[in-house]
Amino acid sequence: MIPVNPVITIDRERCTTPFDCKRCLRVCPPAVFAVHAAKIVRGVETDRTEPGAYLLAAVYRDKCTGCMKCVEVCPVGALTVAMPQEVRA
Amino acid sequence: MGREALDDMCRMCEWLGDGDIWYKNPRNYANRMYKLREPGKKATPFTGGAEGLASGLNRAIQAKADGDLETYQQIIKEINERDATRPGGQVLPLQDCIDLVRDIGTPVAAMHCICRKTTRAEEEQSINEYSCLGLGTGMFKWERWPERYRGGVQFLTPEQAAEFLEYWDQRGMVHMVMQEGGDFIGGLCNCDYPDCVPIRQRVDYGLNYRLTKGENICEVDYERCNGCGECLGRCQFNALKYEATIDKPNIDPMMCFGCALCMTACNRQAIRLVPRRQYAALQYVW
Repeated sequence: MIPVNPVITIDRERCTTPFDCKRCLRVCPPAVFAVHAAKIVRGVETDRTEPGAYLLAAVYRDKCTGCMKCVEVCPVGALTVAMPQEVRA
Repeated sequence: MGREALDDMCRMCEWLGDGDIWYKNPRNYANRMYKLREPGKKATPFTGGAEGLASGLNRAIQAKADGDLETYQQIIKEINERDATRPGGQVLPLQDCIDLVRDIGTPVAAMHCICRKTTRAEEEQSINEYSCLGLGTGMFKWERWPERYRGGVQFLTPEQAAEFLEYWDQRGMVHMVMQEGGDFIGGLCNCDYPDCVPIRQRVDYGLNYRLTKGENICEVDYERCNGCGECLGRCQFNALKYEATIDKPNIDPMMCFGCALCMTACNRQAIRLVPRRQYAALQYVW
């Protein structure tokens, strides 16, 4: 199977507070990324600066063009975007 | 169940409308109040999108991105078959929203948009930023789930809610009623592509039951239209474009969701709403 879109990997050891950082979520033209609270607890507002409290995912990957804007803005180098031809090789 | 449903009604009107448009039926704003949980059963907590990652749609999208169209189409088909048996959201024009908050959808509380929180990490902290409306007495329970209602909520009078809707309409947001639990209209969303999850699920992935088209379509009155172009750029559904040949905008009726954003941008009243059922080939297009 030949991937149509780049393969996006998120290193969660490095990307720990995506809801606080927001950069990739904001910069992506087709809004490929999504962020959500790892757990929603009754009576508690999640602390967006607590590592691991929010998780980032490349949900709408079929819209990824491989423009690399997210990789450029990521302050912790957590994102890799591998082009389809690289993945196949 | 009231009057016999008409053939050309959308499925929500057929099931929940009692012979009329479902979101104009007061019953659909009250059902939740009388619903009792089974003894010993806990409330389903909000998961804030976590369930979306494990969802069929996410698997479908990853398959599509990996070049496996067969798996993608199979999953989409399965989701649609399941969705067809239950209600979803529906697009509605500004005037219907205003009637709704004035007459039946009370209490109304402004709150943050869950979709844009997820797709753009948008944080709406006060009435100056809130863009979504929660409806019904359930909104009084928001403090139990402060993460779901992050940034708090603010209850509005019907007049304030109407102003709120007009503001977001001006900003170019599509209005949608969202149902919860199958028969309770709990939200009046204002959102746009690509940040709105239901719009995106319908436009990009063909999950047509997640967001049903509006009761009407928009039509240009070419006697009145002077081709100023104010309406261009308002359409979130790829239905409205500028047509060079006639030097005026063109609306594709098959693509139109009847959100009326183009109409509210027009200074010459050159766009009007026409009931979908007026046209033979549109009356079953939802």
